[in-house]
Amino acid sequence: MSKAVQKTRPTGSQMRVRIVLGLALAAVAGALILDASGRAPRGAGSDHAASALFAANVPGGEIVCQPDAFLSDDAARVQIQIGTFGRPVPDLRVTFVDLAGTPVASGALPAGGREGLVTIPIKRTRRAPASTTACLHIGGSSPVELAGEAGPIIPGSEVVGGRQQPGRVSLTYFRAGEESWSSLLPELTRRFGLGKAAFFGDWTLPVAVLMLLGVWVAAARLLSGELT
Amino acid sequence: MNTSVATTSGTRPPLDTESSRRRPGRLSRVRRGARDLLRRVPRAGRICFAIAFINAAIWGWVVPPFQVPDEIAHFGYAQYLAESGKPPPGGPHAQYSPQEQLALERLFFFQVIGRPQQRGILTTNEDRALRSALAAHPSPLGQGGDTSITNQPPLYYAIEAIPYWLSPSQDILTRLALMRLVSALLAACTVLAVFMFLRELLPGSPWTWTVGALAVAFQPTFAFLAAGVQGDNLLFLTSTLTFLMLLRAFKRGLTMRRAVAIGAIVAAGLLAKLTFIALLPGIALAILLLAWRALPEGRARVLKMAGTAVAVAAIPVALYALLNVTVWNRSSPTAGAISGATASVLPGGGVITLHQTLDYTWELYLPRLWFMHHAYFSEYPLWNTWLNGSIGHFGWLDYTFPGWVYTDARYLVYALAALALAAVVQLRRRIKPVLPIFACFAVMAVGLLGAIGYAGIRYRMSSGYPFEQARYLFPLLALYAVFIVLAARGAGRRWGPALGAALVLLAMAHGLFAETLTISRYYG
Repeated sequence: MSKAVQKTRPTGSQMRVRIVLGLALAAVAGALILDASGRAPRGAGSDHAASALFAANVPGGEIVCQPDAFLSDDAARVQIQIGTFGRPVPDLRVTFVDLAGTPVASGALPAGGREGLVTIPIKRTRRAPASTTACLHIGGSSPVELAGEAGPIIPGSEVVGGRQQPGRVSLTYFRAGEESWSSLLPELTRRFGLGKAAFFGDWTLPVAVLMLLGVWVAAARLLSGELT
Repeated sequence: MNTSVATTSGTRPPLDTESSRRRPGRLSRVRRGARDLLRRVPRAGRICFAIAFINAAIWGWVVPPFQVPDEIAHFGYAQYLAESGKPPPGGPHAQYSPQEQLALERLFFFQVIGRPQQRGILTTNEDRALRSALAAHPSPLGQGGDTSITNQPPLYYAIEAIPYWLSPSQDILTRLALMRLVSALLAACTVLAVFMFLRELLPGSPWTWTVGALAVAFQPTFAFLAAGVQGDNLLFLTSTLTFLMLLRAFKRGLTMRRAVAIGAIVAAGLLAKLTFIALLPGIALAILLLAWRALPEGRARVLKMAGTAVAVAAIPVALYALLNVTVWNRSSPTAGAISGATASVLPGGGVITLHQTLDYTWELYLPRLWFMHHAYFSEYPLWNTWLNGSIGHFGWLDYTFPGWVYTDARYLVYALAALALAAVVQLRRRIKPVLPIFACFAVMAVGLLGAIGYAGIRYRMSSGYPFEQARYLFPLLALYAVFIVLAARGAGRRWGPALGAALVLLAMAHGLFAETLTISRYYG
C-alpha cells in the first residue's frame, strides 16, 4: 500500500511542471474571460462595399439608392462615411425597402455633425427580406460625397437622383448598443455555421469549443505526465 | 459485397480463386506492419499526432472557405486534376471552374480579402443565395488557366483529389471541408515527424520530444495553413521527414532501407513543391557524409546505397518532367516554374545582377552592411517579415494581433535565444558528435534562405509587391523545434521541464487567441 502511494507521488520536477501548468492555465483562463467581457459596438454585416474612396457625389436634396444593401435582421445602426467639404453634415434620412418598394426599416440623423463616419440609428418595421435597397436622402442644398467602391455599372451599382452610377456606396451595419463577446455568443454560433459545407450549422462552434477544450486537457495531461 | 453478406449470415462463400486465397494473408500482413509501425511510435508521439490533427481540424472549421492564403488557387488546381486527371495547363484561360468562381462570388470572397472591416456571409438570406446559386450545378471543370501555383508539381493535389472523389456530395463546400482534413492530417504527420526527430536527436530526454512537437502543433501560423487546402502542408511534412531520415541514417548508419526512404522522401518533396529544390545541396552533402561514414562496409555497397537513394529520388521526378512535356503538354519539364522564378530580365528591360541578389538576400535576414548601397527594405525584415509573420499575419495577410504582441514577443525571443545559447554551451560535448549532420542541415537552411532571396528580388522588382512570407521558412520546422527544446534545456536540469511546459502553454495560448482573433475577424 505504502509502495503504491510512493509510486503515485509526483517527483519534484513533476510538481514544478504541474505548478507551472496550473498557473499558466489560470492566467490563460483569466485573459480569455477579460477578453470576452470587453464591451464594444459589434458588427451586423455590410453591403460588402469597402470605404475605399468617395464613390458617389450627391447634390443636396437628392436621394442616393444602393441596391443589394444586404440589411441583416440584427442591424440597429448603419454607418456611412461622408464628405461635406468642411460644412456640417446635413440631415440624413435612410430607408430600406424590399423589391416591391415596401419600407422594411428607416432612420434619420439630424443635421449638424462633422464630416467623416456618421452613424444613423435605424428602426425596423419588418424582418429583412432577401433583397433590400437602401435609399439615403441628403438634406440641405450642398453636395456631399459618400465613400464606397468604384466599378463598372452593374445591377448592384448606386443610383443617384434616379440615374445609375458606377460604384457602390459602403454601408456598414452595427447591432444595438455595446456588447461583450460572451453576450454575442448566440449570434456568433449562428454566423459560424453559415457560408460553409451544408453539414455545418449552429452546432459547429459549440462542438469546436468542446473539441478545443479536449485538446487542451489532453495536452495538459500529456505535459504533466511526460515532463519529468 | 457478397462475401460480407455471407459472412454476417454465417455461411462463408467458397474462396476458390488464388487471389482471394491470398487476400486475407496480405491484408493481415499490412495490418500487422501498420500495427508494428504504430507500436514503434511512443504513446506521447501518438497523442501529439492526435492533438495536432484535432487542433488543425478545428482551425479548418474556424477559417471560412478559401480564406487561407492562396487556397483558391490550390483548390482550383486540385479540382482541375480531380476532374480531368491531369495538372492544369496554365495559360491565359479562366483560372477557376465556373463552380469555384460562383462560390467565390457568393461568399463575397473578393470583397473580404485584404479588407479587415469586411465580412463574408453573416445572414441567412446571404447563405440561402449561396446555396441556391450552387444548386444550379455550375461546371466543376474549368480551363486551368495560370495562377500563382499552376506550375507546381501535382503530388499534393493528387492526394487532395482522393477526398474530392470520396466526398458523398458534389457540393464544392463539402468537398473543400473534406479536403481541408487532408491538410490537417499532413500537419499532424509533420508534428509526429518533429517528435521522432527530437527523439533521434535527444534520446535521453523524452520530455523534450513532447515539448518540441507540441510547440510546433500549436504554432498558430502553422495551424492556420493546415486549416486550408494549401500545398505548403506537404512541403512542410516532406522537409521535416528529410531532416528526420538524414539524422536517423547519420546516427544509426546508412542502410539500403534508409537510402530508399531518403530517396522516396526527397522525391515526394520535389513533387510537392519546387521550393524543395533549395534543400537539395544540403541533402546531397548529407548523403555524401553518410556514404563516407559507411565506407568501412565496402565501397561497392556504399555506392549501391547512395546510388539507390539518388535513383529513387530522381526517377519519379524525371517521369514528372517527361509527362510535363509529352502527355500534359505543359511548357517545359518544370512547367515553366524554374524559368518563372529565376528570370533576371525585368519587364522594363533591366537586369537583376548577382550583386543585387546577394545584397537583397543578406538584407532579408541581417542588418545592412556599410558597403551595401541599396536599401531594399524600409523596415528590418528579420522582425517585420519573419518574426511578426510567424507570430501571426493571418488571412490573406489582412489581420494581425495588436502591435504590443509583436513588440513584446521580441523580448521573449531574446530570452529564448540566450537560454538556447546557454544550452548549447552546456551540451557542447553531446552536440559535438552530431555537428557534421547539423552542418548539412545548415546548408539546407542556407539553401532555403538563398532561394527565398533569389526569387524574392525578382518578384519584388518585376511586380512591385513584397514576396516574402514567414511560412516560407516553415520547411525548417524541425530546427524551430530544436530551438524551443534547447531554450527549455537552457533553464537547467531542474527547471527545464517546467520551462518546457510553460513554452508549450504559451504556444497553446498563442494559438487560442489567434483563433479568437480569427473568429472576431470573420464572424464578429
